Amino acid sequence: MNIQEYISSGIIQAYVLGLASEEEKREFEELVAVHPGLQQAREAFEMSLEQHAMANGVKPPQQVKDRFLEAIRDPSRSNPSLNPSKIITMENEKVPVRQTGMARYVAAAAVIIVIGLGWFAFSAHQQNEALRVANEELKHKSDSTENLLNQVAIEKDALKKSTINVVKMEGTHPSASKSSANVFWDSTSQSVYMVVKNMPKLPNDKQYQLWALIDGKPKDLGVFDINDEKFIIKMNNTQKADAFAISIEQKGGSPTPHMDQIQSMGKLKAQ
Amino acid sequence: MANRLGNPVTHTYTEQELVALLKARDESSFSYLYDHYSAALYGVILQVLAEQELANDVLQEVFVNIWRKIDSYDSSKGRLYTWMLNIARNLAIDTVRSKAYQNSRKNRDLTDATGGAVLPSGVDNIGLKKVVQRLKTEHRDLIDLAYFKGYTHEEISALQGLPLGTVKTRIRSALIQLREYLK
Repeated sequence: MNIQEYISSGIIQAYVLGLASEEEKREFEELVAVHPGLQQAREAFEMSLEQHAMANGVKPPQQVKDRFLEAIRDPSRSNPSLNPSKIITMENEKVPVRQTGMARYVAAAAVIIVIGLGWFAFSAHQQNEALRVANEELKHKSDSTENLLNQVAIEKDALKKSTINVVKMEGTHPSASKSSANVFWDSTSQSVYMVVKNMPKLPNDKQYQLWALIDGKPKDLGVFDINDEKFIIKMNNTQKADAFAISIEQKGGSPTPHMDQIQSMGKLKAQ
Repeated sequence: MANRLGNPVTHTYTEQELVALLKARDESSFSYLYDHYSAALYGVILQVLAEQELANDVLQEVFVNIWRKIDSYDSSKGRLYTWMLNIARNLAIDTVRSKAYQNSRKNRDLTDATGGAVLPSGVDNIGLKKVVQRLKTEHRDLIDLAYFKGYTHEEISALQGLPLGTVKTRIRSALIQLREYLK
């Protein structure tokens, strides 16, 4: 920037007379700090303005000075909220009082509104969070209900199909005489479903295992747990089966059933 | 200048010394400040608002403001008078623009044709305003609106139906001219 051009652009007069924009002021203050010439030019204009004003002054009445000195001696007058009384009294005297009163109410109302909005936002957030959790729970419930319905539908279908073989498993083990379950085997689709009716829950390291007995040999149809949610359990398919058996095995199942652990057995009815 | 309080104060402060005393809230320095600058500032106020009673109130408030705000005066940004001048001009313009003043004007001169967007003006034959009278009309009007009535460049652009760029250019030209007149 050519500082001489800047000096003669009228910016000094705009700055000193309070006609410069905020941006112009900032720029001027930055430049004046580094350009002594600009500062000298500013001071020269300020001096000429000051001298002109001093030479063209109008003497105010003495009472103004008395009132001023009185005002600064009285500490209550230093309160920035005080306005020149004369200016206020030009209007209806009640108006400023009412305005002050109104301002207090407005301020108080604003504070209440802010607090209220804050509380509202907070509780809305809380509520939203609670709703989100509730919604997820509901979705979860809805999912399991849907599963249940699907299972019921499958069971219903299975029961209706003519190709389905229902094998009633009876407790065989002395300690599990009441253990019972039904195996639904669709000989066409080869699907096997377990419907547990009454089987005790097992320790965590144990699982039930379903076997199909084919020509006297056991075929692994998978392991299952007893839980409240799944009362119908899809097992592995099998092409053939003469009978079904359930044993208790170590978690994960066993390649061959431990015969002493057979809990329930059921034979297919003669076709 | 005589000391109206009767105290033996010597009026030989440099501006720096005066500012230091003012910032210390030294009462006699404020008395000196008033004696020294009140006429110049009163002239400035009267250029903005012509009513003497109101100008008296504004002048009193200007000095109370100076007393109150002296800590914010920064000598690196300009001379003390420049700072006080801007306080006086702003307070005078604010007063003219205040609802109370507008109402009193309305009540007093119902037939005053200067109502509407353009605010009533101060005395033309004193101080800077006298100098401004020497400017050519198109410059004088803009300085009057910007400096004595406190309109922004944008407001003047709307009031005068001039492009903002033209308003800025003309005000700058007017200010350069004023600098010459004041030399």
